[in-house]
Amino acid sequence: MLSGKGFDNVYNLSGGFKGWQGEAAFKSEETGLELFTGDESPEKTLAVAYSLEDGLRDFYLSMALQVKNDTVKDIFTKLAEIEISHKDRVFDEYVKVVGKRADREKFEKKMVKKVAEGGLTTQEYIELFQPADWESETDIIGLAMSIEAQALDLYMRAAERSGNPDSKKVLTQIANEERTHLSELGKLMERII
Amino acid sequence: MRWKQFLTPAKSFNAEQARGYISDRSSDDVTILDVRQPGEYEDGHIPGAKLIPLPDLADRLDEIDPDKPAVVY
Repeated sequence: MLSGKGFDNVYNLSGGFKGWQGEAAFKSEETGLELFTGDESPEKTLAVAYSLEDGLRDFYLSMALQVKNDTVKDIFTKLAEIEISHKDRVFDEYVKVVGKRADREKFEKKMVKKVAEGGLTTQEYIELFQPADWESETDIIGLAMSIEAQALDLYMRAAERSGNPDSKKVLTQIANEERTHLSELGKLMERII
Repeated sequence: MRWKQFLTPAKSFNAEQARGYISDRSSDDVTILDVRQPGEYEDGHIPGAKLIPLPDLADRLDEIDPDKPAVVY
């Protein structure tokens, strides 16, 4: 239908979604968008993104305390450390937006609570993905990849909705970074399998 | 001109080609279009896909940028 209506570069995915064999996101188009109404400034957008990274870091740290397998404990700790670097990246963007007056302590006070990356609570993630074995390295990295895929989905939907061009740019950039995070976790998974 | 919509061939990607095509581009440089029903979308979709169910597509074409490539499923 699109071909011939001004859309010259249209590619059908053979086999449809069942043939995709890649990471997936779940739930409705509106999931998590209560965090991004579309009117946010770039500063507010980055504060929400920072909160999401921080929420996920807390989740990984809490799981590291709960599991018994030392290797899995190390993976959760490593995942938490990765989220710190993601938070640093978000703050770097904030510095670019506001300039020298950027203050990390004040920025952190703007955080949104009780959400993890992707816009779901950690309990919602556990219920949605239900790792078969919390002591399995591959199951845990699979969970982390699922969360990153959900985050990528949320940022792309938020970018499309945003009415602020600068916020849209920020959200697109974060989405691209989420895609990189997903790819890095995929490589980690390959090394373990 | 009306014939064009029937005669323009649509190209196809397998999953690997689609993944490569999407990952090689910024997320705002390609449209991933899900034309299934909302329930199917909720049960799993390609991250970042825009949902426009096929029955609604003709009326919602203005929501898609014709200048961007689109991967459709």
